[in-house]
Amino acid sequence: MQSEDFVAAALRKLAEQDAGRQAPEAVEASLVQAFGRRRARKKLAPIALATLAAAAAITLFFARIQPQPKQIAPVPVTQPPVAVAAAPVPIPKATPKARRVKRQPREVVTQFFPLLDVAPPFERGELLRVTVPASTMRKVGLPVREERLADPVYADVLVGQEGLARAIRFVSYEQ
Amino acid sequence: MIATDAALLEQALSGAEDAFTALYRRRQGGVYRFALQMTGSAAVAEDVTQEAFLALLLHGTRYDETRGTVASFLYGIARNLVLRRLDRRAWAELEIDDECAGPEDLLEDLTRRESIEQVRQAVLSLPPVFREVIVLCDLQDSSYEEAASALDCPVGTVRSRLNRGRSMLARKLRGVVCAGRSIECSPKIS
Repeated sequence: MQSEDFVAAALRKLAEQDAGRQAPEAVEASLVQAFGRRRARKKLAPIALATLAAAAAITLFFARIQPQPKQIAPVPVTQPPVAVAAAPVPIPKATPKARRVKRQPREVVTQFFPLLDVAPPFERGELLRVTVPASTMRKVGLPVREERLADPVYADVLVGQEGLARAIRFVSYEQ
Repeated sequence: MIATDAALLEQALSGAEDAFTALYRRRQGGVYRFALQMTGSAAVAEDVTQEAFLALLLHGTRYDETRGTVASFLYGIARNLVLRRLDRRAWAELEIDDECAGPEDLLEDLTRRESIEQVRQAVLSLPPVFREVIVLCDLQDSSYEEAASALDCPVGTVRSRLNRGRSMLARKLRGVVCAGRSIECSPKIS
């Protein structure tokens, strides 16, 4: 028997032995579940975006009636005065600590997420800082833990010349 | 009329669960066996099958009918998943023993020894570029064109790799039965 025939026969036997092997049924069940979740998400996506746009519009309405203070970044808290010890320990006149300037928290923003599928051409707009629940972040596809969904987060809403909320980005502060 | 794979994929991507299930049932066996024969591990084959079909759901719109069949598209996904999992150190070229006698009566010997598993180990010990063409063309009965599409290489490359892979396999299998030795250098992947 030639070497090629021998290899072909050996491989044929292996193929025959494996012919009936299939993925376990659990794989199909899991995939069907994933398919259902994906389909549900696809159906909900336009509704979620519409809800988000409506929520942003309502927030903007109130934001205009009661304008938010411009600076919403956490204000650095001044330290309470340090009690001077009665013991005769010489205190340096000016320590480096006393001179250290407190750093302002750094603002970190996400990209802008569009709120309108089709929008008129952008000419001019206004960026408004608002507070929204963290669940809004999930609506644009950002990950949020379940227990944090109700937490307030800062967001910048871009309002176009026609008064429509066009896009949103989220803001956090890093020390 | 039986729907084609491409039609089923299109329907599945537009939300038809029945079409997805039909496509899965039609193609899962091939994907599972491909992963099994490439890795030697049923657990990895199971994971790869699941991930390959999930990837098909997520990226199925990238499928281009002019570039190959849905089956070869799926094999291509499965191949990438398999290669990602394998320890590349296990892919080193192996020593090939050319000192054995000819292959006369070797098949009978193989049958007698019930050494199909040794054939599997010999396939597993091939470097991946040769292993994947052997698995696709010889074990999965894919055409050269399908294999070329799955492996994203020209048909001529598939042919030459197949020839070389079979030669290497012949030498390894000679080693299996030569002087009653078993395969010494086949990396078992679990």
